[in-house]
Amino acid sequence: MKVFPEDVLYSSEHIWVRVDGYMATIGITDYAQEKLGDILSVEFLEADTYVERDETFGSIESVKDVADLIAPVSGTISVINEDITDDSDIINRDPYDTGWLIIIEMDNLEQIDDLMVAASYHDFITQKEID
Amino acid sequence: MVWRLLNFQKHNIFENMAIDEAIFHETIRNKKAPTIRLYHSQPVAISLGYFQDARKEVNIEKCNRAGVDIARRITGGKAVFHFNEITYSVVAGDQEMSFPPDILGTYKVISKCLARGLAYLGIKADLVENGRVLSAKESEAYCFSVPSKNELLVEGRKICGSAQVRRRGGFLQHGSLLLAFDPVKTADLLLPARTPRQVEKLRETVTSVNDEVASPVDVQKICSKLKKGFIDELSMDLVEETLTSAEETLKSKLIGKYSNNLWNIQGENILN
Repeated sequence: MKVFPEDVLYSSEHIWVRVDGYMATIGITDYAQEKLGDILSVEFLEADTYVERDETFGSIESVKDVADLIAPVSGTISVINEDITDDSDIINRDPYDTGWLIIIEMDNLEQIDDLMVAASYHDFITQKEID
Repeated sequence: MVWRLLNFQKHNIFENMAIDEAIFHETIRNKKAPTIRLYHSQPVAISLGYFQDARKEVNIEKCNRAGVDIARRITGGKAVFHFNEITYSVVAGDQEMSFPPDILGTYKVISKCLARGLAYLGIKADLVENGRVLSAKESEAYCFSVPSKNELLVEGRKICGSAQVRRRGGFLQHGSLLLAFDPVKTADLLLPARTPRQVEKLRETVTSVNDEVASPVDVQKICSKLKKGFIDELSMDLVEETLTSAEETLKSKLIGKYSNNLWNIQGENILN
């Protein structure tokens, strides 16, 4: 059963965002990790790189696909989770906590308003699966 | 220095791609010694570069009718027709000092190994210093149409095409060494359709092992010379082994991807 924590926001590219001031911790959703299957590797742009919202900030490779990771907000990549670059299984096991990907220092907090809350993302996924 | 050899094997293209990828991830994950693999795809197959679109590069209907499998690689590059050829793959982690940390430098090292192996068969192959530039009218979809920098030519004709993928921690390079070349059959399965002149052009720019030797050489002998080429060029030992159980498990999972048209033909992101 898929999990939709309520303390994070969601993008339509299946990225979750946990906001703390200007800092946005980012990961892939439980739906995404389940669709991808066993994750084999993950790669990111370097720390201190500026990414625009909707641009690629990395890629994730699984037994089923190689998927681009799309930034849900604009800002500078301030931290990369080195634990998952060494052991990408963590993303499958714990996508919302220890399996986080990067932290972005946002420069436009208004972009948060465009993200979905858990109930909306749940509806989005449900509709997607019907389609 | 001891490397692993997975000696000449025959599998379908989906399993071959899954084996290469499983070795690649397991080598990086466990910082293992490099692996060299020599293989053949049966049934006959076309493999596409990761960024190619099967619907634009391959006559899918003709392939289906002819029983030709189509698979998308994780490596870049162009389409390869796996018919009358030996495919090689080399996987190494970043800790392996024989290879520089870049695509072209790695191409060069591997090409030198292959060239030395070909020299043991009496074939003088040279590294391309600069890739050949094609006119807009010439087809660019087929791997052997275009020699890339540091690939191998025999008297100006391409004999081996290679492609590589790099991840943090290592690389996978695989390539196709032609044993014989059939430009008509090759052109028939690829898009766009070729004129007789273009097919003739392909014949003029591509060669094969058996075109370059006095009498046909069997696969085992070629593999043995290629193996010696790697050993002598890199001053290492090559020990014949099999896949580990972890590689077998990962291979089984990856076969699902490589036998799926979502990956091979449609190239769609699974999350879209």
